[in-house]
Amino acid sequence: MEIKYTIQGLLIYTTIAVYLLAFAATAARQARAGRIAFVGGFLLATVSYAYRWYDVQHVPLQNLFEIFLFLGVACYPISWLCRRILRTGGQWADMLIGAIVLVPAGFAFDARPMQLPPALQSWLFAPHVAVYMLAYIFMAKAAVQAGEQLWRGRPALGREGIPTLYLFQDAPAGCQRDARPRWPRHDTSGRAGTLALPPEQATYELIAVGFPLLTLGLILGSWWGKLAWGDYWGWDPKELWSLASWLVYLGYFHWRYMFGKIHPRINSLWAITGIAAIIITVSWVNLSRLFPGLHSYAT
Amino acid sequence: MIRFRRAVLWTALIAVILPTVLSVHGAFLGADRAQAFFNSLPLAVYWLALTVLLIVGLVVFRRLLQIPSLLLMHLGCVLILLGGMWGSKAGHVMQRQLFGLDKIPKGRMMIREQVEDNRVIAADSNEPRQLPFSVRLKDFRMEYYKPGTLIVRSRTGQMWELPAEAGAQLSLGGTFGRISVQKVFENFKLRKEDGKTVPYDAPGGSNPALQVQIERPDGTSTAGYVFEQFSPIFTEPIDLDLSYRRVVRDYISDLEIVQNGEVAVAKEIEVNHPLHYDGYHFYQHSYGEDELGEYTVLLVVSDSGLNVVYGGYMMLIAGVAWHFWGRRALIAIKSRRMITPQAEQELPDTPERQE
Repeated sequence: MEIKYTIQGLLIYTTIAVYLLAFAATAARQARAGRIAFVGGFLLATVSYAYRWYDVQHVPLQNLFEIFLFLGVACYPISWLCRRILRTGGQWADMLIGAIVLVPAGFAFDARPMQLPPALQSWLFAPHVAVYMLAYIFMAKAAVQAGEQLWRGRPALGREGIPTLYLFQDAPAGCQRDARPRWPRHDTSGRAGTLALPPEQATYELIAVGFPLLTLGLILGSWWGKLAWGDYWGWDPKELWSLASWLVYLGYFHWRYMFGKIHPRINSLWAITGIAAIIITVSWVNLSRLFPGLHSYAT
Repeated sequence: MIRFRRAVLWTALIAVILPTVLSVHGAFLGADRAQAFFNSLPLAVYWLALTVLLIVGLVVFRRLLQIPSLLLMHLGCVLILLGGMWGSKAGHVMQRQLFGLDKIPKGRMMIREQVEDNRVIAADSNEPRQLPFSVRLKDFRMEYYKPGTLIVRSRTGQMWELPAEAGAQLSLGGTFGRISVQKVFENFKLRKEDGKTVPYDAPGGSNPALQVQIERPDGTSTAGYVFEQFSPIFTEPIDLDLSYRRVVRDYISDLEIVQNGEVAVAKEIEVNHPLHYDGYHFYQHSYGEDELGEYTVLLVVSDSGLNVVYGGYMMLIAGVAWHFWGRRALIAIKSRRMITPQAEQELPDTPERQE
């Protein structure tokens, strides 16, 4: 553990504190104060990221320090998207996630600026990493919803008294499609309940948004690999873990196509297996140094 | 038919789970062994079976043909598999046996400056093979980030870094005093001038060095030279370890493709910017130096099946993006348009309203 007595460190620690404040305010049912603090944390995280960018003179996505810094920024926009458009709720968790992802940046990883090695000097570098990180946040949020589904064992088709809206897909057999399509204008509490979708449905919605990003990340990485190393697929351990993650979500869609919401617990297990594979892809393969490969520089 | 469809779906699910498990297994093998594993005969049979399964799926599930996004996704996967198999080592053997296309799947070329060569050491057999054209290396060079770094370490483990540029200086505390960079050499050489040995920066060549001065707390000072490739030289012993480090920004080979005695293509290749000519990609792979001088090592890769794979990629991402984002966004927009003031009144209470 290393405390950073630098401007960068100060920005990171302040952001963590503000995100935690947002979480505490929301937990204390001060939803408005929580939202304001969340926006404040996002602005601080953005300043922190911009400062890093200025410091290293390239898009700061080179190592895990910079990646966790990026995740700290991306949490709020994704949370906003999920709340306002996907209606998946869980904003309180996003505030906590925002603080948690900045902890490794603040205390664990080395912040010394590094120059880009030749292989990383590609226009594909930033989109490849950024797209993956965004996908991972969606998948993490999906896993939170899947965990809620497993933990509470709520019915997949909606809570009592809360209408289940089939906006994006056909209602399963036996369930009438909501005759009056609606679009939520407000879901401001961010807490599970109120207008948020039921966890199983929310899991699906989030994975459906994250999966194209995951696919794009895989394809961009493959294209970049071809330009830099001569192979669009090198059987590198990290490549294989990222393929395994992608395949798990592919399996999820096939399973859900076959069985719909009949087995909500199994649906949730797919999502949790997916995030487990992602966590291994992001951290273990990078950190373990057991499997040297093309991605070894990303530590 | 329903039973058959159900069987296809279950087979598809197993066909997804199996490579998931195998990918995890492969990650423990390391890249080289994993490559051999996934190119082995049983796995080759599996890739072929997966391709057939996807095609069967497209035939028996009308939904896959009727919904363009689903069609793009599945057809994209078929193309990726076909392109991958066509471009594999086994695919190249098949190309030779069936169509007489004798291409080198992958290999390496070692070329010295101003030398023309067409020999490739094949990666699979380590046998020399020949390209139908020659490659000439006009020049090879390495570019570095500027400035480099002077790294100072004390015997007690303290470490300092300062930019390796003339005039840069740094306080090392009360024990060691102050260190400064006096001059930067790209190619450090010595010569005699008026009976004295003096350093100078010789044109060409590479022997990066720094002229450094250390001012001790007691007012005395010492000077010396810190080299990138050799140990430092000082006029008297010092209690510090000094090293000069430069970070490579790029490796560049200036190439010409010569066919029938004429230059067909000329290009400076560097990492991320290969040269493509007559079915092969040439990549900057490595470099070296021996008693005969510097040489570059190029990776030569056949482009067989590459466009098919890229076509598959485009179809896959277009299908996935349209299916999960485009279609859903359209439905959402249509649904939004259907909200009437009356319907809005009937919406469940928002938290603000509840409060």
